[in-house]
Amino acid sequence: MPSWPEKRTWIGSHATRVDGPAKVTGAAKYASDVQPEGWLYGMILRSKWAKAKITSINLDKALKVPGIKAAVLSREGERTVRYYGEELAAVAGTSKQACLDALKAIEVRTTPLPFVVREEDAREESSPRVWEEAPNLSKPSVNEKGEVDKAFGECAAVVEGFYTTPVQIHHPLETHGNTVSWTEAGVTAWASTQGVFSVRDGLASSLNVPQNQVRVICDYMGGGFGSKFGPGIEGGLAARLSKAAGAPVKLMLTRFDQALAVGNRPSSFQKIKLGATADGTLHAFEFENYGTAGIGAGGSTAGGGGGAELRAPYIYRVPNIRVKQSAVAVNAGSARAFRAPACPPSSCGIEAIMDELAVKLNMDPVELRIKNDPSEIRQKQYRLGAERFGWNEKYRKPGTSPGAVKTGVGCGGASWGGGGNRRARAEAQVNPDGSVEVRCGTQDLGTGTRTLVALVAAEVFGLTPDKIHAQIGDTRFPYGNDSGGSTTAPSVCPAVYDACVNALAELQKQTGVDDARGANWLAACKKLGVNPLVASGQWREGLSSSGTGGVQFAEVEVDTETGFVKVKKITCVQDCGLVVSKLTCESQVNSGIIIGIGYALYEERVMDRHTGVVLNPNFETYKLPALADTPEIDIVLMDMPERGVIGIGEPVTIPTAAAIANAVANALGVRVTSLPITPARVLAALGKTGGAA
Amino acid sequence: MRPFAYATAFTPASARELIADNGCYLGGGIDLLGEMKEYIAEPKVLVNLKALPGLNKIEPGDKVWTIGANVTVGELEDHEGLKQTFRGLQQAAAEVGSRQIRNVATVGGNLAQHSRCWYYRQRDVYCLKKGGDMCYARNGENKYHSLFTGNTCISPVVSNLAVALAALDATVIVQRGEKPQRMTLAELYAKAWDNPTAHHSLEHGDLILQVEVPVQRRRSSYLQVSEKAMFDWALVSCAAAGRIEGDKISQGRVVLGAISNVPHQVQAANDLMEGKVLDEALADKVAGAILEKAQPHSANGYKIPIARALIRRTLMQLKA
Repeated sequence: MPSWPEKRTWIGSHATRVDGPAKVTGAAKYASDVQPEGWLYGMILRSKWAKAKITSINLDKALKVPGIKAAVLSREGERTVRYYGEELAAVAGTSKQACLDALKAIEVRTTPLPFVVREEDAREESSPRVWEEAPNLSKPSVNEKGEVDKAFGECAAVVEGFYTTPVQIHHPLETHGNTVSWTEAGVTAWASTQGVFSVRDGLASSLNVPQNQVRVICDYMGGGFGSKFGPGIEGGLAARLSKAAGAPVKLMLTRFDQALAVGNRPSSFQKIKLGATADGTLHAFEFENYGTAGIGAGGSTAGGGGGAELRAPYIYRVPNIRVKQSAVAVNAGSARAFRAPACPPSSCGIEAIMDELAVKLNMDPVELRIKNDPSEIRQKQYRLGAERFGWNEKYRKPGTSPGAVKTGVGCGGASWGGGGNRRARAEAQVNPDGSVEVRCGTQDLGTGTRTLVALVAAEVFGLTPDKIHAQIGDTRFPYGNDSGGSTTAPSVCPAVYDACVNALAELQKQTGVDDARGANWLAACKKLGVNPLVASGQWREGLSSSGTGGVQFAEVEVDTETGFVKVKKITCVQDCGLVVSKLTCESQVNSGIIIGIGYALYEERVMDRHTGVVLNPNFETYKLPALADTPEIDIVLMDMPERGVIGIGEPVTIPTAAAIANAVANALGVRVTSLPITPARVLAALGKTGGAA
Repeated sequence: MRPFAYATAFTPASARELIADNGCYLGGGIDLLGEMKEYIAEPKVLVNLKALPGLNKIEPGDKVWTIGANVTVGELEDHEGLKQTFRGLQQAAAEVGSRQIRNVATVGGNLAQHSRCWYYRQRDVYCLKKGGDMCYARNGENKYHSLFTGNTCISPVVSNLAVALAALDATVIVQRGEKPQRMTLAELYAKAWDNPTAHHSLEHGDLILQVEVPVQRRRSSYLQVSEKAMFDWALVSCAAAGRIEGDKISQGRVVLGAISNVPHQVQAANDLMEGKVLDEALADKVAGAILEKAQPHSANGYKIPIARALIRRTLMQLKA
């Protein structure tokens, strides 16, 4: 079994991103920057109805708008649209304005139908059905273990709570979209994607073109978070427009579109009962949850791993459990996998009730967790983190902080699977002039994949990373798996390592140089003559691991007169196995925590029950954390090189919101049970809302 | 966005002529361009106001300061003398949007901006304010909406500057027809109280030229509470101004924003401060008088405790 080198120069270093300069100078071309010769703008017409029967769509007038070169229907014939924003048709033209004018000229005939957009309404039998053939509320899935009812009777402390989390919209800063050229020679797509091969295969099957005639390129992309696998409906429309217009078509969604139709994290409504024996050992757990994945109904996981089902009791071990879950369909866009699908809401529920239990047992919340969390890694992390965060000095009984502006602290833990993909491959090409190209058909979500490739290759060859040309984001390169589930680093790094080790061995064999690394590199490469050397590699057992744990601590300040919450500090202790690139690893921790802050305090899709529209399809009222909302973030990477490479993109966003919610509850002495924790909800929890003046 | 013509005005008279019946004035464009992109405004011509002479200056005076309509919100924020004389106005300016927005947004535009109600701004909703027949917020999602209104629309006025200027008893000079008219802040918004489609009292063609701010109130302050720390609209904003002699307040004014379709001011509340010792007990009495007739809807009752806290804090700041 291969292993990583004992002594490491580049791996684990704080080296800067190899593509940093290209990104900050604008030289890096994102999918939305690509401008192939003769390209046209593409734009989508979306349903203005939350539910309607579409009897006809007439594109004739749109095609007569000056500059318009093509218009296509999303689907032929009569159909029913089931949410505000569903795709109806698309146009391509020489300017954005031409497309906007054309969209206004499309004639749509409809019969509007009754709809429902709120979970609590939709689950009523009397509400309009999203899907005619099935009730909105799915039959619950039930998971039962031990004897729950009896076990609660044996508990010394029992607590109950009802916690809700909102629908969180996918808002990567680069919107979804592609630039597609479909000619007789085949299809080329520049995609903003988390999986170039998933876009290739999706386009090939929807356009009925052989896979070997579809090439997908993604040099740079601006974030996906689980919502950018496959070409999407917008990718298929761009391709069909390209064929019809005889020109490449760039169809990037607008921020408005983004809020409607390309995924979200499902909501949750969690009723939890938890009991423990007098020494704090968890003994009984009862959990009932429903949430919406939009029109994805029937307990399904519409959108690929983005379903409404949660993990319960998540990271804790309880001998007696009863878990009942259902999904409720509403007339809204489908959920998609969202950074650590199911976990942040799961964490919010279980960590809230754990703190309630700690209060009832009069136990320290950290001690209660150490006692009941079976992960030895997390137990260690809690001790380390508590020390570093100053938990013992900062923790006080709920609501006992003096003054109008109260401080509080909270914590929470996370687990994640991840791990490498066995099919990941890479190749290394050593040129006679000593330059190196490493190719892998993976892509960089923004997390720093190119830098990982360069650091691993530099380590093997004894070169500096700038001597390595890391080439990724092209289906012409050896297969790389989709970037999802925190699998990129543990898939790509072993494959690149294997390719480079093979290349080095081959170089030494061909040239007779015993050790071609470092100082000997140039001389050895020169001996190759005129032909470069190419070696391939693949993922190997032993170089990566799955299964990672992390804990976070939050400190907040809450103004009890205005309800305003300020996060002062987050401490994160995260298991990362072998850290490959320290800088980008820390960046991912920062980003996971910042997303967690958004989930805790600001983000929420707001829909109008009377019109079925999304009321906050913009960054004005769909609020994301900015720098002023970002606290001091203290990161401890628990480096465990013996475990190999582990992806951490997802685990680091899981416990943030739960820790913040616990900190707010600790500050106030009462709990805000719904996210986001807005001033309105803080004041409501304090009983200050709506009183006469 | 619809195609439009673009013209530059060099005098108020030519500005009025150029916008004709279907044009819009263009200052910083922060509010207008958003409305055009959403097809809420569809002007045939945009009349650039930035070349109007003399409107881009802040002119200090012994009794009155004059602030031109083309002065940017960022210039207000940065003006050292203004910070000394009208702290509340400076604080209000500093809370507008982001620095990038403040660099472009003008005083005139901030005062004349339209509703931010998410029904009004939603491209596919035809609400009362747009000329439709229903205020969707009343029975819908109203956490950002008003506690006071004189009509059916409950979208609040959100201009920070209006709130601060009202507390300072400022006068707005508006070119209406041939000659400039003087309007109090209350007059500038009065029409929005009665008329659901109005955002303010300005009629088509009316042009804000400048604002005059008297200096007799030596102390002023402004605070707002938003959901985020920066670059967010106020849930409630509050400005206070007055003269402080010893521990007593005179000529006190308290004005609230984001809770009514006009800057919310109650004469009785101002009157009850006159000559009194300014302390928290007085502030709470003032808050009681200002908020007495609040009519919360399903999701905006929380604005009442925020307003009460802000009234107390802005008044206490006057002493500092």
